[in-house]
Order: sequence, then structure tokens, then C-alpha cells
Amino acid sequence: MSTELLRLEGIDTFYGPVQVHFGLSLSVRAGQIVSLLGGNASGKSTTMKVILGLLRPRAGRVSFDGRDITGLPTHQVIRQGIGSVPEARRLFGAMTVRENLLMGAFARSDRLVIARDLERMLELFPRVRQRLENRAGTLSGGEQQMVAMARALMGRPRLICMDEPTMGLSPLFVDRVLELIQAVNREGVTVFMVEQNASLALQIAHYAYVLQTGRIILQGEAGEMARNPKIRDAYLGGPDAKATAA
Amino acid sequence: MSLLEAKGIVRSFGGVHAVAGVDVAIAQGEFLSIIGPNGAGKTTLFNLLSGHDVPDRGSVRFAGREITGWAPERIAGLGLARTYQHGRVLGNLSVRDNILVGAHHRLRAARPRLPGLGALAELVTALIHPPSVVREEAALADEVARIAALFGDRLTPRLEQPAYSLSYANRRRVEIARALALHPRLLLLDEPTAGMNESETAEMTTIIGGLKAEGHTILLIEHKLDLVMRLSDRVIAMDDGQIIAEGPPEAVRANPAVIEAYLGHRELGGEAVA
Amino acid sequence: MGSWLDYTINGLIIGNIYALVAVGLALIFGVSHLINFAHGSVYAVGAYVGWACFTYLHLPLPLTALAVIIVCGGLGIAIERIGLRPLAGAPRIAPLLATIGISLVLDQLLQIAFTPDPRALPSPLPNWRISLGGGTIGALDLLIAATGLVSAGVLYFFLRFTKLGWAVRATAQDRDAARQMGVDTDAVNRAVFAIASALGGLSGLLVGMYFNHIDPAMSFQATLKGVVAQVIGGMGNVPGAIAGSLLLGLTESYGVALFGSSYRNLFSFVLLLLILVLRPNGLFASARVTPPEPMTGTFVAPSRVLRIPPWAVGLALAAAVVLPLLPNIAYMLQVMTNAWLMAMLAISLTLVAGTLGQVSLGHAALLLLGAYASALLALDSGWPIWASVPAAGVLTSVIGTALAAPAFRLRSHYVSIATLGIGEIVSLVILNWESLTRGPMGVTNIPPLAIGKLELDSPQAAYWASLAVLVVLALLQSRLLRSHLGRTFRAIRDDDVAARAYGVSLDRYKGIGFAFAGFGAGVSGAIAAHLYSYINNETFTSTVSITALTMVILGGMGNLLGAIVGAVALTALPEMFRGTAEYRMLIYGVVLLLIRFRPQGVLGTV
Repeated sequence: MSTELLRLEGIDTFYGPVQVHFGLSLSVRAGQIVSLLGGNASGKSTTMKVILGLLRPRAGRVSFDGRDITGLPTHQVIRQGIGSVPEARRLFGAMTVRENLLMGAFARSDRLVIARDLERMLELFPRVRQRLENRAGTLSGGEQQMVAMARALMGRPRLICMDEPTMGLSPLFVDRVLELIQAVNREGVTVFMVEQNASLALQIAHYAYVLQTGRIILQGEAGEMARNPKIRDAYLGGPDAKATAA
Repeated sequence: MSLLEAKGIVRSFGGVHAVAGVDVAIAQGEFLSIIGPNGAGKTTLFNLLSGHDVPDRGSVRFAGREITGWAPERIAGLGLARTYQHGRVLGNLSVRDNILVGAHHRLRAARPRLPGLGALAELVTALIHPPSVVREEAALADEVARIAALFGDRLTPRLEQPAYSLSYANRRRVEIARALALHPRLLLLDEPTAGMNESETAEMTTIIGGLKAEGHTILLIEHKLDLVMRLSDRVIAMDDGQIIAEGPPEAVRANPAVIEAYLGHRELGGEAVA
Repeated sequence: MGSWLDYTINGLIIGNIYALVAVGLALIFGVSHLINFAHGSVYAVGAYVGWACFTYLHLPLPLTALAVIIVCGGLGIAIERIGLRPLAGAPRIAPLLATIGISLVLDQLLQIAFTPDPRALPSPLPNWRISLGGGTIGALDLLIAATGLVSAGVLYFFLRFTKLGWAVRATAQDRDAARQMGVDTDAVNRAVFAIASALGGLSGLLVGMYFNHIDPAMSFQATLKGVVAQVIGGMGNVPGAIAGSLLLGLTESYGVALFGSSYRNLFSFVLLLLILVLRPNGLFASARVTPPEPMTGTFVAPSRVLRIPPWAVGLALAAAVVLPLLPNIAYMLQVMTNAWLMAMLAISLTLVAGTLGQVSLGHAALLLLGAYASALLALDSGWPIWASVPAAGVLTSVIGTALAAPAFRLRSHYVSIATLGIGEIVSLVILNWESLTRGPMGVTNIPPLAIGKLELDSPQAAYWASLAVLVVLALLQSRLLRSHLGRTFRAIRDDDVAARAYGVSLDRYKGIGFAFAGFGAGVSGAIAAHLYSYINNETFTSTVSITALTMVILGGMGNLLGAIVGAVALTALPEMFRGTAEYRMLIYGVVLLLIRFRPQGVLGTV
């Protein structure tokens, strides 16, 4: 059963006089990992802002689970069952890791279940347990990424939105983060991720879109996309990397 | 001798080494590119070279002077011009004025050299507006037209428009035009094609190639390998604040460490490409 | 002389009062990055609510305090709703100006309701004092100390252990991230404004009781002191604000002990300036942290400039020139002469605040410098007026630029705070430097304007002279704006990082801008001194600075003609409606609030 969980239709957004999206449409099926690819300034992060209600599109419609959420304030979008892992993590640096995780459950009021969920997160992210009482600002980039993911999951979202989850991480952590995204997805959480590194994203995604200067120029099953040379043109820019490696 | 030479520079932010002991040298007339994943420290390195930030350790020499710790305006005076990854055009200024700001340190008639009283002389000259200043302005206006013409008809018809009204790609062009107006001895370009589509990227590649042909010394940060491969004399690959490979473009691209860190590690979509 | 212990206790008590104000400002700055200039007005409202409760309702102290908390908390919510929320996407300067506008409106409403006269606010507490070492402590002292401690404790508990408190902390650290956790950040803002304003109101009540004296003017002083305390402790840092307040209270108290009470405020502003220059992130910030940027991006709203055709400007000028030839116009001429003088100040300010992007809140100090310079040169050194006025312009230019220089390395809000402090320092130095300035007596019998033997003492002559000087200054400024300096100034305003990367030295060009602006403002002050024939250190107060800023904003930041239009409109229009001074400030406040509908001003920003 692949019902549609998130849908964007005909989105136009502007920063002042400059248009960012030109009739952007895409959809995310429940249970999948869907990746939005694109280079710098292609409008990827802005797409995330539109979904989360941080930026209001001038035209178009965002719906989640069949309900129109266009223009809803962010805190209400979150309460619909959407979790967010922002670009560059955006942890609350002066608060402890535990406080950060509990902030993730801010929209919930079931205190006992929250405590159980916290324990579950620490099982999923064992590294986080050791740093639980440290201030989040003192963590390394990889550790912060894990806390950011755990924080988003603490809200028990049905859809988790991740903005460049592998950015600035060492290769070791990149692997770990990708595995964790897959693990989270296997538990039934739908994942929508924005990524600049296409080869990474296509390894784990089911479906992918390529965004270029505010327009979707390509979409398809991740496997097929990975075989498509146009992808590399779009932002890897280089000729076929395998050939180079060989 | 190198035009620019940085030795052992280190810069950390809150315990994280953004640049961890990097040596870079660029010779007169050379085209050097820096590649690497986001967060590898490329832009931080640019900031350290151009005086926007000060290294914790290490030294930078430019045009025969030790410039470590110099303010950016002084380094600009030696002939170093740069563009910015996300763009720093002056939004409320017209395209023309943006480009003219690039020529600021070359103003002679408008900025009389009087020891101690330079600022006062500059104010008085501006109010009097003598013929020498008029001539200088006319010459600069011609030059602005010439520089804008490098970008085909992208900028010329928009010279009097405020920069905030331009498209993203045009703002990048304005930044490069502004940098050229400085008559740079060294040009630092930070992702000049970010946010451009294929045809715009190709156009920019031609323009940058033209600058190289004119003999400009260029240090480029760029993700689009195609452009890097086509133009560079030499390529440096960075990851995690360090240089992981350096050499001719083809060699760097074939370097396993570079493929691991940048082009996508593991089998790089393995069978996907095959 | 009282004992040191007395001064220490006094300093700590005053510090406690400042803390109640500063903590609120810090909370508000924390979540909204806004210096709430209306905070002092809330404090004054608190004092008056207390007075009304005691006087009319004969309520006991606890019920009075409760009433103050409720009224001021509600007022805080209203300020957030009117001043901050509608301006969410506007340039950061907009909400700052809106809070200044709200402050003007509230202060004037207080004056209209209660008259500007001071009133007594007797403490209902018993009048005993305990001897303690060499000093004594009274019941009210203990109450103030207890209120400070309890408030700090409750605040700590709230921030640490309540859900809303967590939301406040998260919002203060990263507003967007907090929203992505499901925090309703608007609700957080509202709560913070309510809490901060309740504390501020309580502080006003306690201060009123402590000095047994309240008046509407207490508002501005409270904002200033709260801001100073906050800068000492680090903007947005709540424990820092408390420590900064206590330090400020002690500094003032010891300063008064050593030099007398007229030096009280001088000490706080010198302390402010020292901190801004030496440790702009506050005493408790770690050394190499990049300073917070309360206002990134440009101050200036992008706009299409309304071009006035030259013939229209010429026509308006011709009308202005022939105006004195009309019959029965003496009063009107006086008003318009004032308008020309204000216009000189406004074009000076629009250069600094609009073109150069350094929003000065102390511009009236330049008028004072010019006025005193010309008056004293004429009276004490026997200079002819035709020489003393331009000399005053030059002196103002030099002194003003030197005084503003410490602010050159600051940005955004900090520039405004620093110039506000510098302005107060100028006024206080004039007040205290009696041998030169005649101190609180002021300077009397200043000779009228004259060129050689020709006295310009008729209303017509004064009018024409002011208009002529204005036209010359405006022409010079327009030349300056068209030169490379205009471009360079605007480059600094739009992005000083990029400007420096192209060889623009900030010190040099800010210096040139302030020097030119200082000359015009100094000449304006000098002419005013000869027209008024009497000046003192309060002839041009910070209210004049705010008025000039309102004119500049009304006309469009950086817009030369706009500044003149703004000055004429805001000087002459209230006269036409025969408004009293009270209503005039009310109009300025409303104008500042209306900017949200046209942030680029009438003629557009340049």
C-alpha cells in the first residue's frame, strides 16, 4: 500500500523580488525514503521551509495526509505529525543533550511514554547516551546529527524531513547516518530528505527528484536515477565518476 | 616565486578544526582550483587568505608581503579580490555602483594622498568635484561598460537597476564584475556557478576561461568538476580541514582518497554507474 | 558624609531595582533580538497605577502590586502585538522604532492623564530602620531586596522546570529550530513580554515608593539604565543583566559618594561606553566569540524613490523665499524658521543613519555642541557671529566625530545604544563643567544673529538666514551623495564586510560621514542659540534626537529632500492644528508606529 503522505502542487515562492520556485510539484509516498537532489541555490532548502511553514508560498498548495497545510504556522505543521532535522542540525547549543531530546517531544503531553521513547532513542543511538548530560554545543558534528535525528523522532512523527543530513560529516559518520535513516524508515517513518550529494542519497532512497533553479527537471525510482548520466551533469558536474575511479 | 603563499594555517571554531594546517601556494598566472565536500574548510580558507578571518596559527604571504592579520581593506589594496559563496552584492546599490565599489582602491584623483589629512582632502575634493575627478569618473564609466560587456547582454541593460532586483545568477555576475574592477593581481572565486543551470554554467566557464587567457591568476572553489577539469592548471582537494590530494587535475580526480571523500565514497553508486 | 556601608547598601538596592528592569529587557532581547524602548514607559505606567491604587482605591500594598502586575503584563502583551508581531519580516530597525513610537505615545498619554508634574508616592510600609554596622536598612529596602531575590528565584524555576520556560530558552537560542519542535514562538513572545513588563511595572512602583516621587519623565531614564545594565551583562543574558544591574547600582552609588549626585548618570554612561568599546559582548562573554548580530542585512527597505522634478523643488524653494513678504505672518515665520533648523539636523541625521546606516540616537548632542560653541565664542572670546557660527560647525564636526569614533567599530543596535549614551554624556558634561559652560544656569544674553554690523534680529531676517544656510548645506550634501563618497557610504551600509573586501576602510569613511554631518548639525545648533538667546544643557534633549529620527524616517532614510519634507511636516503641521507640545510628541509616536505601512518613508529610501 503506497498512499501519498505529502504533496506539493504548483508552488511558487519568492525572496523579495527574486523567485525561488517555479510551479514546484512533488509527492512523497507513505513508507518511502524520498530524496530531493540539487546543487547550491537550486531551491532545495527553501522547499523544506515551505513544507514546514517557515516560508509561505505565493502560489500553490502543500498537503499532508490529505489535509491542506499551506500557510499553517510551523508549530501546527509539526503537530500534524511531521518531524524536522534542520540543515546544520540547529541543536539548542546551551541546553543539554537530554533537554534537546525532550524539546523534540514538546508538542506531546504523554509524559510517561516520552520517558520510554527517550530510552528507545538511546538504544537506537548508543553514542548519544554517553553525552546525555553534556551541552549540545560541545558535541562533534556527527554526534550532533544523531541528536538532531533523535530529537525529531521524539515527536513520534509520521514523516521526518531532513535537510542535508550528511553535510560536513566525516565519511565514517556519513555511513552511520545513512544506516540510521534506513533503520528509522524500516520502523515505519516516511523520510523526505534534501541532499546535495546524489550518489549518497540514491543509495538509500526509493524515489528521487532533481531540482534545478526552482524547477523539477528529473524524477524517478532511485535505482534508475543512479544510472542516469544527467544527474551527474546537474550537480556532480563531472563526467562519470566510476570511469574515473577505474 | 609564488604570488600567494600560505603556510601551516590553522583555524578552529569552538574546538573544531575548520582548517587544520594547510599549505597553499599559487604562482603568477596560475589557475588553481580547490575542491572538496561541503564543510571541508574551503570557504574558511578563503576567509583566512583575504583577511576576513585571522588564522590561529600559520602565515600568509601575498605579493612579497607578510599579510597575516592584515585587515581585508589593506589586502584588497595589494590587489586581492574575492567573491562570496552565497553572494554579497550591495542590494540597494545599482549594478553600476556595485562595480564601481570594486574600483574603490584605485581611485586617485578622488582620493588625494595627503599624509594625515587624507580623509579631509577626500571630503573637500568630493565637494569641489574638480576636473581631474570628472575625468577619472568618465574613464571608470568606460571601464564599467567594458567589464559589463564581458557578460554579454546580461548586465549591460541592467546597469542602473538596483542589485536586489537581479536574479541569483546575475548577482553572481555582478560580484565577478566588481572583483574585476579592482584590477586584481589575484582573483578568489568562491563557487561562481552556484545556482546556475547548465547553459549559464557553460557561459560562466567561457568567461572564466577568458580571464585565464588574459593572464589572470585565479584561485577557484567549485563543485562542478567539469569546469574545474577544463580550466585548472592544478587542483587541491580538501576534506576535514586538510589537503588530501594535490596535483594536475586528472591525477587528483583519479586519487582514491578524493573519490572516497568527495565524489561519493564506497562504491559511488557502484553498479548504478556500470 | 554617610558611611561606605550606607553607600554600598544604597547601591545594591538601586541595583536591585535596575535588575527588575534589565531582566525584562534581557528576556525580551533573548527571544526577539529587540531592544524594547517602550520598557521604561511600562515601568512609569507601573508607578502611576500604583499611585492611583493608593490614592483613589486605598488598596493595601499586596493588592496594589497585583494590580500593577496585571495592568503592566497586559500592556506588555499589547506592545508585543502592536510593536513586534506585525513587523516580523521587516528590517530589524523597524520594530526598534516601533517601540520608540509606543514609548512616546505611552509617555504622552501619562502626561495628559496625570500632568507632567511630579507626584508623591508615599510608601505604606512602617518607617523603622535597622542599624547594621555603620549603616541602616529600612523596611522598604528589605522589600526591594526580597522582591529582587524572589523574582530571580521564580524566574529561574520558570525557565528551568516549566514547559513554557523550556520553550522560552529554546526560542532564545534558535527561534526557527524551536518552531520546528512545535513551539508556538508567538505565544512565547507574548509570555515573555507579559513577564518582563510585569517585572518592569513592579520596579516602577518600588522606585516611586523608594524616592517618594514619580513623574512621566522617569520612563526614559529607566530604559537607559536597563539598557546600560544589560550591555554590561551581555545582551540577552538574564543572570548577566542582574549582575550588570548590581554593578551599575554600586558604581553610581560610589560615584555619587565621591563626586556628588549630579554625576550619577555620567558614571553610568561612561561605564556603558567603556563596556561597548572594550567588551562589546558584555563582561561575562567568553573572549573570542563572534559578537551576536542583532540586525543582519540592511536597515533600509528597498524602495523605488519618488523623484521630485527639479522645477517642483525650485517652485517650492521660491515659495519659501517669498513667504516672509506675506502680511501678518510673524508667527508662521517663527515656526518655519524652526522647521529650517530642524531640517538641517534632519539632513545631517539622514546622512549618518540612512546613507551610512549608523542609526544615531544621540544626534541632538551635536546641536548642543554647536550652540554652546558659538554662544561661548561670541560671549567669552568676543568672536563676531559670522565667524562663531561656522567655527561652531567645525568644532562640532571635530568633537562629534571624536566622540562617535568609539562607536565606529560597532554595528546595528550597538551603534544606537552607544550614540544614545554619548549624547547623554555630552549633556551631562555640559551640566557639570561649570567653569566653561556655566553649568545648570545655562548661557544667557547670547547676542542675536548678525553679519558684521547688520543685525538679523527681525523674524524675516532670521527666517531668510536659516533658509539660506539650509539650502547651502543641502546643496553640499547632494554633491557629496553624487560623488564616490555617496556610493562608498551606501556600500558600508549595505554590507560592510563586502565593502572592506574592496578596500573601504570603515573608520575613515564613517569618520568622513560623521564629520560632514556634524558640521551641519553644529551650524543648526549655533544659529538656534543666537535666535533663542538662552540655552542650557536641556535645550536639546534626547527627545530632539528621536524627533529628528522620526523626520528622517518619514521622509525616507537617506533621502535628502525627504528629510527636509519630514522636518517641515513634523514641525509645521502640529502648529497648524494648534497642538500643544504634549500632542506633538503623541503625533511623532503615531508616525513611528505607522512606518509599518510604508517602511521606506514618503519619498523612499535611497
